[in-house]
Amino acid sequence: MTNTDTTLPTEVDSDQDIISRVIAGDRDAFATLIHRYSDALYRHALGMTGSPDVAEDILQTSFIKAYHHLGEVRGRFDAWLFRIVANGCKDWLKNIRRSHLSYDEDDQPSNYTTPDEDLDRTELRQDLDGALAELAPSLREAFVMKHVEGRSYEEMADLLGTTVGALKMRVHRAREALQALLEEKYA
Amino acid sequence: MLEPQNPQEGTDRPGLGRDAARPANGAPLADREVPLPGNEPFGTTPAAVHAWLDGEASEADARAADARQVALWNRIESETQGRRRMTTPAYVSQRIMDALPDARPSVAAVASTSAATAASVDGRIALTPITAMLAAASLIAVGFLLARLMG
Repeated sequence: MTNTDTTLPTEVDSDQDIISRVIAGDRDAFATLIHRYSDALYRHALGMTGSPDVAEDILQTSFIKAYHHLGEVRGRFDAWLFRIVANGCKDWLKNIRRSHLSYDEDDQPSNYTTPDEDLDRTELRQDLDGALAELAPSLREAFVMKHVEGRSYEEMADLLGTTVGALKMRVHRAREALQALLEEKYA
Repeated sequence: MLEPQNPQEGTDRPGLGRDAARPANGAPLADREVPLPGNEPFGTTPAAVHAWLDGEASEADARAADARQVALWNRIESETQGRRRMTTPAYVSQRIMDALPDARPSVAAVASTSAATAASVDGRIALTPITAMLAAASLIAVGFLLARLMG
């Protein structure tokens, strides 16, 4: 390995600077890109698949693919990387034979004070996962990006290459569907 | 699974081919996935509740429209906000770094757009101007050959 610069990149270095260093042989600099984007991408993969193990695998596969093709990045690295992860999630959903996967409860931090509150929360979490699994992938993707990742419609449109109007429609339809599935028990 | 509402989805189902799903006027299907004028509600959720969830109206307005739905969405939001704070398990970053090859990443010989590259990285066919021109040239060549063989 040939390191052109022995110092690790900082948080203020641009993605393109870091990419240039990785391409020049500074493999360790790639860790900064992982650190910068893994949380948001992990939340997306987890929201789409409902499984921490699958989300980790998709994340790992996507970063390795990104590393292999790093020299082909034109434009925004984060949007390019997001599309690799999003496509990985959709491919997994296409291939999945199981009807529903739930989060491992051990993986979820509990911030609730009483056992009853914790139990209610666990039940809602499982029901929401079940309802999300019922949605078509495009609706699920839109809902997860809006409500779980907290992205704006403009940001979603930028990442998905579609219009704000189309995404609003998908989110609204996802809400309608989730509400139909959950309201009898929770409303 | 619930019926996909995107008109581009579900066209592989029996009896619902691309032609069946295409509107009679031949307009591109994607053009149909736009909000209706005036943002009329199309389901059971009042527009005020959607507007509140989109950050465009107050909770009081939404509650006035449907208090039960607001209560439901407050519960769902509390769950989704908890998920928003989730982080990647610490070992994942190291696992990814350990799995990276020692070789340097390849440098693309031909410039392409990031979207097309992301798609091709993922094994999907990417339509770039170059691939489109190559495809068109191939089709013309095949057509020319067929015309010569038949004529």
